[in-house]
Amino acid sequence: MTAVRRSFRGLLILVLVVFAGFPVYWMLTTALASSGDLFAGRQSFLPELQNLPELLRSIGDVPILRWLGNTVFIAVGTTVISLVLGTIGGYGLSRYEFRGKGFVNFLLFMTQVLPEALIVVPLYAMFIALGLLNSMWGLVLANVGFSLPVSMFILKSAMDAVPRELEESAAIDNCPRFGTLMMIVLPLIAPSMAAAAVIAFFAGWNEFLFASTFLSDQSSWPVSVGLASFIGQYDTPLASVMGSALVFSVPAIVFFLLVQRKIVSGLTAGAVKG
Amino acid sequence: MPSLTLSGVGKSYGDNMIIRSLDAYVEDGEFLVLLGPSGCGKSTLLRMIAGLADITSGELRFDDEVANDWSVSRRGVAFVFQSYALYPHMTVRGNISFPLVMDRFKKWHHLPFVNSIARRRLAASPEIRDKTDRIAAQLELGPLLNRRPAQLSGGQRQRVALARSLVRDPALYLLDEPLSNLDAKLRAQMRAEISELHHAVGKTFVYVTHDQVEAMTMATRIIVLDGGEVQQIGTPDEIYTTPANTFVARFVGSPPMNLIDVRRAGDALVTAGGTRWIHLGAVPDQQELVLGLRPEAMMVAPQGSPGLPAEVAVLERLGGETLVGCRVLDAAGERDTAMIHHDLCYVRVQGRAPVRIGDRLTLTYDPAATVWFDPVSRRRLV
Repeated sequence: MTAVRRSFRGLLILVLVVFAGFPVYWMLTTALASSGDLFAGRQSFLPELQNLPELLRSIGDVPILRWLGNTVFIAVGTTVISLVLGTIGGYGLSRYEFRGKGFVNFLLFMTQVLPEALIVVPLYAMFIALGLLNSMWGLVLANVGFSLPVSMFILKSAMDAVPRELEESAAIDNCPRFGTLMMIVLPLIAPSMAAAAVIAFFAGWNEFLFASTFLSDQSSWPVSVGLASFIGQYDTPLASVMGSALVFSVPAIVFFLLVQRKIVSGLTAGAVKG
Repeated sequence: MPSLTLSGVGKSYGDNMIIRSLDAYVEDGEFLVLLGPSGCGKSTLLRMIAGLADITSGELRFDDEVANDWSVSRRGVAFVFQSYALYPHMTVRGNISFPLVMDRFKKWHHLPFVNSIARRRLAASPEIRDKTDRIAAQLELGPLLNRRPAQLSGGQRQRVALARSLVRDPALYLLDEPLSNLDAKLRAQMRAEISELHHAVGKTFVYVTHDQVEAMTMATRIIVLDGGEVQQIGTPDEIYTTPANTFVARFVGSPPMNLIDVRRAGDALVTAGGTRWIHLGAVPDQQELVLGLRPEAMMVAPQGSPGLPAEVAVLERLGGETLVGCRVLDAAGERDTAMIHHDLCYVRVQGRAPVRIGDRLTLTYDPAATVWFDPVSRRRLV
C-alpha cells in the first residue's frame, strides 16, 4: 500500500472517529458548562472542570443509580431471555422440518413491520389483565417481544452455516442433541450470539415508549424516562440532563466494547474441507 | 464385533428411490468397500448403518438383533466423514478425546457453563490423557496436539479424524470417502496407513469410495453399487477378473475392460464392420455376444496378423508401461463400430511400446483371459 493511500485511510478513519465521538464529547462539555453560559449561548468548547462539584450535586438530587439499575435490569433481562429463546427457536428453525415453518419465518418478519407505537394500546390492555402494569418483568417481556424475532433470525442464519456433519460427528461421539447445541454449535456461532446480544441489549437499554406508558411509579423508571422527566414547563436543567445522560451512556459503551471483541468471523475455519 | 447383516435394505426420499432392496453380510474383521459412481447410494447406505439416516425398508442386523431403530450411540460405531468434521473450536487433543469425554459425561454436565468445566476436567484425567496421547502417537500427531484444525494440513486433519474414530475402540469403523480431498501422493500414503491400521486393530471396516484403486488395494471384499442396486459382491480379484456385468467391467480397472460387439460365425468371430478372425478358445453357445478383454490381456502384432486390425490413436507412456489406445478398423480400413461406447481399445504394453500414433497394426489377445457378456442383459455368460 502506498504512503498516499495509507494517509488517506488514516484521515478517513479520523473523520469517522470525530463524527461518531463528537456528540459524546459535546455531552461532556454541556454537562460541565454553567446554566448561565448555556442559555446565553456562550458554551465553551473545552470542558469546564470547575463546574464538576455542581454537576455531581445536581445529579445527586435525582435517583440516577436506581434508574440505572432499572435500565440494567430491563436490558439484561431482555438480552438473556432473547438469547435463550432465540437459540432454542433458531435451532428448531434451522435444523427441523415441520409443517408451517415458512409461515413461522414470515411471522418473525412481521413483528418487525409493526411499530411499537401501534401496539402500545392493546399491550396496555393486556398488561392490565395480566397484572403487569408497573412491573419491570412486564417491560422485559414487552421488549423481548420485539428483540426475540431479531435474535432468532440472526441465530438461525448463523446455525444454517454450521456444517451438519459436525452435529452428526458429535452424535457418533455419543453427544446428545442438547449437548451438541451447547458444546459444538454455540461456540461456533459466538459472533452471531454477540451481535444478537448487542441488538437485544440496546433495545432494552434505550427503552422509552413502553416504560413511559406502563410505569407510573418513579422508582421503577429506567434512566430514559427519568431523563425525560427533567424537561419542565419553564426550565430544563441542561447540565443535569447531560450529566445523567453521560452516566447512562457509560455502561452501554463498556458493554459494547466487551462484546464487540467477540464479533469476529472465521471461527468455523478448519471444520470441514473448504 | 457383531456381524452386520443387511436384508432387503432400501432407502427412498418420497418417490425418489436411492437404494433398492439390498442384501449383504459383513464378516468380523473384514475390510468391506462400497464402490460405485457418485449418486449410487453408497454414502447413504453407510449413513443408514451408522444410524444417521433412517432405513425405509428391510432390516439391518447387528449380530441377530434388528438395529433399524437403534440410536446412533447405541450402535457404537466410529464414522470418518469425507469432510473431516473436526470441531474447529477445539484443539487436536480436544477433538481426539471428545468421544472418551462424552462416554463419561453425566446428563447434568451438558448444562451451560458446566459442560465447559466438566469437559476440561475429564479431558485432563490420566486415563483419557494417556489414551489420547497413545492414539496421537500412533498416527504421528503428537506434536500437533495443541493446534486447532485450521492450523493443520489436509492430511493432518484426516489423521485427526481417524484418531478420533480410533480412540473409542469401537467394533465397527465406517469411513465415507476419507481420502477424496487429499492430493494423489498423500492419498497413496494414507491408503497404506489405513490398511496398516486395519491390520493393527483387527476390527471391521466399511469403507465408501468411488475410487477403484482404493477399493482394489484396500478391500478384502467389494460391493459394487450402481443406481442403488448391488452389481456384484466379491473379492477384488473376482471383481476384476470376472465382472458380473458390463457395468462392473467398465467401472473397475483403468483403463476399463475393452468391450467388443461380435457375432459367431462357426469357429470365427465377426464384428459389425465385417472383420473376421478365428477365436482359439471356447465361445458361449449363442449368436450375439460381447467380448470383454482387459488391456493387459491384449497384445499388439504387426499389421496382417490374425486378429483385429487397428490404428494407434493415443499413446500414454507411463515409464514402466505404455497404454496404447487403438481405433478398431473394419474390413475396409475405416473405423469399426464394434467397440461399445465408441471407445478406443486399450492395450497395456510393458516397457516402451515400439509404436507411433497413426501406425496400423493388429490386436491379438489371450483367449484364456476373455470374458463374455450377453449383449441384451449385459450380464456375464461364463
